[in-house]
Amino acid sequence: MKPKVILGIIAIVAFTSLLMFNLGESISTYTDFETAKEMGSAHVPGTWDNTQEYGFSKETMQFTFYMKDESGNSHKVIYPRPKPNNFEEADRLVVIGEMRDDVFYANEMLMKCPSKYNNADPSEYVKASES
Amino acid sequence: MTEFGPVTGIVGKLLITLSFLFCLLSLVYYFIAAKNDDDKKLRIGNWLFVLKGFFLVVASIMLVQLLMTHQFQYYYVFNYTSLDLAPKYLWSAFYGGQEGSFMLWILFSWIAGLGLMRWTRAPYKAPVLFFLGLTQLFLISMIVGWRFGDFTLGASPFRTIAEEMPNAPFIQANPDFVPADGTGLNDLLKSPWMMIHPPILFVGFAMMTIPYCFAMAALWKRKYNEWVGPALPWTLGSNLSLLTAIFLGGYWAYVTLSFGGFWAWDPVENASLVPWLIGTAGIHTMIIQRKSSVAQKSSLIFAILAYVAIVYETFLTRSGILADSSVHSFVDLGLYNQLLIFMLVITGLGFGMFAWRYKELPSPEKESNILSREFMTFTGAVMLFVLGLVIILGTSSPIIGLIFNENPTPPEISFYNDWSMPIAIIMALLTVLGQYLFWKKYDLETLATALIYPLLITSLLTVASVIIGDVRNAYYMLYLFAGFFAIVGNSWVVGRLAIQNPKLIGGSLTHVGFGLLLVGILASSAYNRPLLDKNTENYNAAVKRGEINDEQGFTVSQTVDMLELKLNQPKLINDQYWVTYEGYDLSNQNRPGQQTYKIRFDNLEGKFLYYLYPEVYPMLATSNAQNVNWSVDPDVRTGLMSDIYLYVAGSSFVEDRNNQIEKAQMVQPASGNPQEEGVQNISFQKGETKEVGNFRFSFVDFVQADSVNLPANTSIGIRARVEVFHIPSSQLNIIEPLFAIFMEDDQNYVMSPPVNLSSHELSFQFVKVNPEDSSIELEIVGLDEVYEEDWVLVVAEKKPFISVVWAGTFLLMGGFSLSIFRHWERERSKQDKANS
Repeated sequence: MKPKVILGIIAIVAFTSLLMFNLGESISTYTDFETAKEMGSAHVPGTWDNTQEYGFSKETMQFTFYMKDESGNSHKVIYPRPKPNNFEEADRLVVIGEMRDDVFYANEMLMKCPSKYNNADPSEYVKASES
Repeated sequence: MTEFGPVTGIVGKLLITLSFLFCLLSLVYYFIAAKNDDDKKLRIGNWLFVLKGFFLVVASIMLVQLLMTHQFQYYYVFNYTSLDLAPKYLWSAFYGGQEGSFMLWILFSWIAGLGLMRWTRAPYKAPVLFFLGLTQLFLISMIVGWRFGDFTLGASPFRTIAEEMPNAPFIQANPDFVPADGTGLNDLLKSPWMMIHPPILFVGFAMMTIPYCFAMAALWKRKYNEWVGPALPWTLGSNLSLLTAIFLGGYWAYVTLSFGGFWAWDPVENASLVPWLIGTAGIHTMIIQRKSSVAQKSSLIFAILAYVAIVYETFLTRSGILADSSVHSFVDLGLYNQLLIFMLVITGLGFGMFAWRYKELPSPEKESNILSREFMTFTGAVMLFVLGLVIILGTSSPIIGLIFNENPTPPEISFYNDWSMPIAIIMALLTVLGQYLFWKKYDLETLATALIYPLLITSLLTVASVIIGDVRNAYYMLYLFAGFFAIVGNSWVVGRLAIQNPKLIGGSLTHVGFGLLLVGILASSAYNRPLLDKNTENYNAAVKRGEINDEQGFTVSQTVDMLELKLNQPKLINDQYWVTYEGYDLSNQNRPGQQTYKIRFDNLEGKFLYYLYPEVYPMLATSNAQNVNWSVDPDVRTGLMSDIYLYVAGSSFVEDRNNQIEKAQMVQPASGNPQEEGVQNISFQKGETKEVGNFRFSFVDFVQADSVNLPANTSIGIRARVEVFHIPSSQLNIIEPLFAIFMEDDQNYVMSPPVNLSSHELSFQFVKVNPEDSSIELEIVGLDEVYEEDWVLVVAEKKPFISVVWAGTFLLMGGFSLSIFRHWERERSKQDKANS
């Protein structure tokens, strides 16, 4: 084989391995609050626990709520921004941040809203039109 | 109205079915025509092709009709519209969902097919139309909605609610159930930008099919060179459409969403960027193939890959696979398998044909010199492709991430940034070398000489911006240098070409735009700063030093990037502006329940600069009486040097409203008096104004009471006209409470019924008249003893040089447009020659 071809193959292999290595580093795993305690930064999916107090405090400038993770544990989450649009509507939340003691400090929060392309269940509208 | 409803649905489904069958039949004729060069078969195929689209056009008109007449028994109509939706949004609901957007895509693809029929010549004509028809067959199959037992092929836009949810209790109770209203379109999508974004995107998708078809036709008919000429204008057109769609999407995100930027590396955004990058790579290789008969293989591969990328990204965004990682992917319609097959067939055919003909594909006789336009352009194409590959890899994290763990998250944003920055730097440097070499032959020495002045200017600009912008990061300096080099070097080429032949500047212009884009992206994202007051800035500085602890004793790591403003109290921001909140307006003009806040900006000397009007409104589609979802609409002050971006994150109005809703929901407490609200008495003379809390009360005059409403033996009957002015919202209400004294059983009674002002939850009672100074006394219920000053919480950011991002995008669009015209004109004249 020509040295050029070999050089090219080496370059491609090196590039691809570096790319894949880097991708692996930047991809984390979804986890629950319990495991998040041992991790630095964690992605925890769950649902809003609406049985507990929630709201934005103007004093601390933080939005606080409780989230139930997929193992069913509910923990306090602190998010340093105003309550996002559609928060109550989200049927799934992903908080990204770290766990300290029993409180999760979210730097980022993703919401999966059914409303974006409106997938609402019409059954709840039945009552409205019948009444 | 509902008479025609069921018929429309059946006819609509029938039309789509016919369209599918005609498409299938046309494929047979096109195949034979392509195989045997049979013109008669080709003509029949064309007729079938035309009819197929005609059926779809009629079906689309019927769907629009259903949407316009609110036929809510159809799931699609129910799901995307509501009675209160404005007609223009009813129209855009046509492509608001998966099914309709597939229809729109096919329609555009069909129109492109009509163009191909008119302008394409043998031997490509029949095979190109065959492959175009094949892609359309797959797309139509997504909306036929045939049911075989448990299996359904496609999701029909004409399916009824009963078909969608046969097991729902309300359908079982009444199969003819028709909802009174639909669920409505998401408020965020009610934007003119979002009305035009999808059609432009699908024009791009439809046109990007054409280079794929040409490449496949070239492989089939073994004509590997000539296809590039006719394919080039289509590819350029597709790129212009995709770029415009990306721009519209980014601009929409910037001015209506609250994440504060135009790009977030969201999979849906990436889905339009990757085909654009690969398509652009294809344009590069097609151009050198046309000029110098090289790079035939890569032109074919990029033309195939650009469309494969579109289908792949369609699969990712529409199959539900990205549900967790994207904020806005489509809902899964159960099309996973169909989309997968579509993708596998398109990819398999593309690579299969390529591999089949690989041996006989032409190769360049000798290697290109490094300092040649062929080498530079080709390397540029490869860099574009590599960037596309990196982004595809990141976007595919739900699949590829499985290598790393069972529950992969999307990659961090830094993955995209870390990889795209060095690639962008190399690309920027290459554009200049490539453009110089494209128009003239140079060796190392002459090239270096020619580049002296551009390099000098680039260095000056870089140093100047590093000093002025206080750039401390060496990597950013290199990036800026590369960006400025692309701007200066390519502008140099544009200038030279403009003198010689202005028609040729298209390509160079796009490269100037690319350089501007790079500089603008860095400036507006890396130097984006929140607007804060001194206290918050000091607090944030302390957080960064790790000096702040919270109640639990943990070090606080999150800075505060918000600003609280009290009504009419200016705050000094960034040592640069005086910012004042001057109240809000409840005009209900655009959206019911909307508040428009008025934020005033003055400069340090107190000179008025401008107002910003951010809005907050209830999301009607998802709100009800018990739970209002508030949504924000930011306001952006666009400037040449920087933009001010601002939205209201909270306000006393919204908080009060939420408290009211909460209070209304609470069951009346068993003990205690629920009416513990403040009662205040004010007395004033005629013409006097009193200010209490957020209100200003003015006693205007006495008004004669109408005797009809008074009891029989009334001795005094008088009304007081009082103006009630709510300071934050500038709302003025006039009330005229009554005061009457009447006699009954020889006793004097006072009659003063309370007047309610429901908008502010106040109640007034006219309790006394003082004859001495003709002053009156009002008792006001509902005024809080300790009232809270009206406030807003705003998130404001200063984004430098976002204008440069748009300028770069517009130059790219302009450059592409010029190139389309040039290549189109050339193809037309070639055709005229052939015909004559």
